[in-house]
Amino acid sequence: MISTVASQQLLSLRRQRVFLAALGMFVAMTAAAGLLGWSSHNTIVRVYDQAVKLLAANGQPAPPNPFLLKPELSLLSNMVVYVPLLGALLALLLGHLSVADDESTGLGRLIFSRRVSRTEYAMGKIAAAAISLAVILLAAMAVSVASLVVANQTAPTIEVVGRLGLFYGLSWLYLLVFALVGMGTALLSRRRSLALLSAMGAWLVITFTIPQFTSGLRPTASLNPIADPVGTSQRFFQITALARPISIAEQYKTASAQILATAPSEPVLHTVMRVVPVAVVAVVLAAAVMVLVQRHDFSRSSNGE
Amino acid sequence: MNGPAIEMQELGHSYNGDLVLHDVDLTIDRGEIFGFLGHNGAGKTTTVNILTTLIKPTLGTALVNGHDVVSERHLVTADIGYLPSEVRMYPHMTAAENLTFFAELSGVEDAKRAVAETLDYLDCSELADRRVGSFSTGMRQRIGIAQAIVHRPSVLFLDEPTAGLDPAGIRQLRQTILGLNRDLGMTVFMNTHQLSEVSRVCTTIGVLNRGELIYKDSMEATAHHFPDEMSLEDIYVRMEGAPT
Repeated sequence: MISTVASQQLLSLRRQRVFLAALGMFVAMTAAAGLLGWSSHNTIVRVYDQAVKLLAANGQPAPPNPFLLKPELSLLSNMVVYVPLLGALLALLLGHLSVADDESTGLGRLIFSRRVSRTEYAMGKIAAAAISLAVILLAAMAVSVASLVVANQTAPTIEVVGRLGLFYGLSWLYLLVFALVGMGTALLSRRRSLALLSAMGAWLVITFTIPQFTSGLRPTASLNPIADPVGTSQRFFQITALARPISIAEQYKTASAQILATAPSEPVLHTVMRVVPVAVVAVVLAAAVMVLVQRHDFSRSSNGE
Repeated sequence: MNGPAIEMQELGHSYNGDLVLHDVDLTIDRGEIFGFLGHNGAGKTTTVNILTTLIKPTLGTALVNGHDVVSERHLVTADIGYLPSEVRMYPHMTAAENLTFFAELSGVEDAKRAVAETLDYLDCSELADRRVGSFSTGMRQRIGIAQAIVHRPSVLFLDEPTAGLDPAGIRQLRQTILGLNRDLGMTVFMNTHQLSEVSRVCTTIGVLNRGELIYKDSMEATAHHFPDEMSLEDIYVRMEGAPT
């Protein structure tokens, strides 16, 4: 029954224009991240080559190519920003559609007059969201690898592909949180618009509001993985910074920067510990969705907009 | 299977403290086509929601095919079909894909074959590969019936099945209900306002008034009980005590 619910959901998502448009935008932004990385790489190398020629003509030694000092995956550093912004919105939409469609069309009534249990239904929906996100992120990873090949004119090493795999694995877990938020709000509200707005509100709080407090109200810190940004002279932010371990947006960005080697390295255990809150939130939300499905009155569905 | 198809004892339900159904004692034998009549808000849909296991009764018990709708939900749902008043399916999926999904949810092993046979039985195989979003009300109703019977249940619940249908659609639905009862031996439980349909299709009727069952008997006996009334509409108005 779980696979039946999941298969139906995957088929339905594949045919939804709204979802396909959001997916297209996410993959396009992944390609854009690679393109921007390749463009800046190309520009700097061209300037460097010209400088080397000029210096050689003057008989002066040339400094080493700056890109030899930079990690290969720094070209994709923008992905650490795109995933919490565009990716999370896509995940919200995915979670919302998977439940809200059954609610607003009254299909929940038909489904639960069948042998399927509410637990199987909830597990099928969560499985479909997890599979959809995995497929989306695999596509994004393929685009990222292609970008690296084009930018570096050589195939990435196994280590680079491994790091990329870890980054997209972490992104999958992070986006699953938002898919579950989308499902939860759709189950809590009978109005589709209110459910979607609530989910967007949760996204704003997780992505911007909480990091603002836990990183000392530094606007750049809410987007970029900056180490220890809290102003130590501000007592209030010293206190709110204590909540940083539960700020999953910050933990995700910092762990991603570690995986992509675009930030000063820290012990592996520290990075692993940053993933734990994201996993805990995902598990708690999955349990909450299961409980909400158990309690939801599907006999009154189709009263939405 | 022995015993009645549906049995309710002192069945009651309340929403937020408001009692919408109370003390309903009703038995429907196998093979009957039962017409459940009543005003809007009388409690008909609540009764169907309980019998199809969508909600739990707050009072009394209900059995379908001898199984309790609360404690034996999986046994009840294995052998019932349900068509809600407003039939909607996944609009992005074809009729066959929708039906396959519902057949699989009912545990049908060869779902595709069951879908093909059902569409063939209802004479609408041409709709199989079309997306449901493009269907007219009549087409949606036919596919709605198909999803309700694709797993060959022994009891079929129809909630206002004629709503939104044109006269040709109503006629077709009537023939389908009679056919399902005759060919497949299905017991049919039908909520409806269409008294003319009830008199043409149903073998037994029940009248619900403000959550209370005020009448239940066969169509034949009903005609004997009310010899002065010209039609079922007259009988219904008299039973409910409404001004004529």
